[in-house]
Amino acid sequence: MNKSDWQLLAIIIIIIISLFAITSLFNYNNSTIATVYYDNNIVLTLDLSIDENREYRVKGYNGDVVIETKKDMIRVKEEISPLHICSRQGWVKSTYEVIVCLPNKVVITLSDNKNKLDTVVR
Amino acid sequence: MDIRKITHLAMLISLAVVLNIIESTIPIFNNMLPGVKLGLANAIIIVVIYLYTFTDALYVSLGRVFIVGLIRTGLLGIGFFLSLTGAIFSTIIMYLAKRYTQLSIIGVSILGAIFHSLGQVLMAMLLLKTISLIFYLPYLLLLAIPTGIIVGLMAKNILSLMDKKIALER
Repeated sequence: MNKSDWQLLAIIIIIIISLFAITSLFNYNNSTIATVYYDNNIVLTLDLSIDENREYRVKGYNGDVVIETKKDMIRVKEEISPLHICSRQGWVKSTYEVIVCLPNKVVITLSDNKNKLDTVVR
Repeated sequence: MDIRKITHLAMLISLAVVLNIIESTIPIFNNMLPGVKLGLANAIIIVVIYLYTFTDALYVSLGRVFIVGLIRTGLLGIGFFLSLTGAIFSTIIMYLAKRYTQLSIIGVSILGAIFHSLGQVLMAMLLLKTISLIFYLPYLLLLAIPTGIIVGLMAKNILSLMDKKIALER
């Protein structure tokens, strides 16, 4: 590795650290509204402060996706996919985390109550 | 394109495909961290960039993506478009880095790994219409550094072996 390699490495590490810093600023908003998309269409909207401790079944590309909710948290409990990435991800509660299940074309996003009007308008 | 070059490129494409299959059997990179791969096939693309031209590198890169798409992940699915964007991004940036900067082969490889991740995340954000995936990007970029170094070292060794072989043939 020569001198410009180390310079490149330094620049990349600075960029990564600043990315971490920027993203962590937004990371810990607790949220209450969960939106479930299938193939880019909203199929389910849950208020996690009301719909606690329940299970929902949503149609996925490979079969049903089972979603479980707790107070302010949501997870994918069961789905049919090769690697089970979204069910291994476990409980999600931050607004800026997202559950993506590519094989099933299912996406779950979280938003806080302040954004509720935006959801209604859409 | 003479026959020797066609044969070489075809051989390199098949090597890239095989490396792709081999790396998917390494359990750590397969299951623990979604989206993280060693990217062994990238070593082949680097070799082509250093031995042949940019267009040839693009042929090999796209050829690999299409063949892997055909035999493993399925053509025209979301995963296919992710690897296509990643491959195009990394090939272009690695060529530019080799042509216009003082970077050694390892630096070129790190840049390629970084832009592969970047391209994939941008495409995923476009396809899934969500900005939230950007919060996964710093983790991917962080892991692109060690994988880039490993792949760069590999490409360096392959190149020194192939240089001797090609010199012998001529």
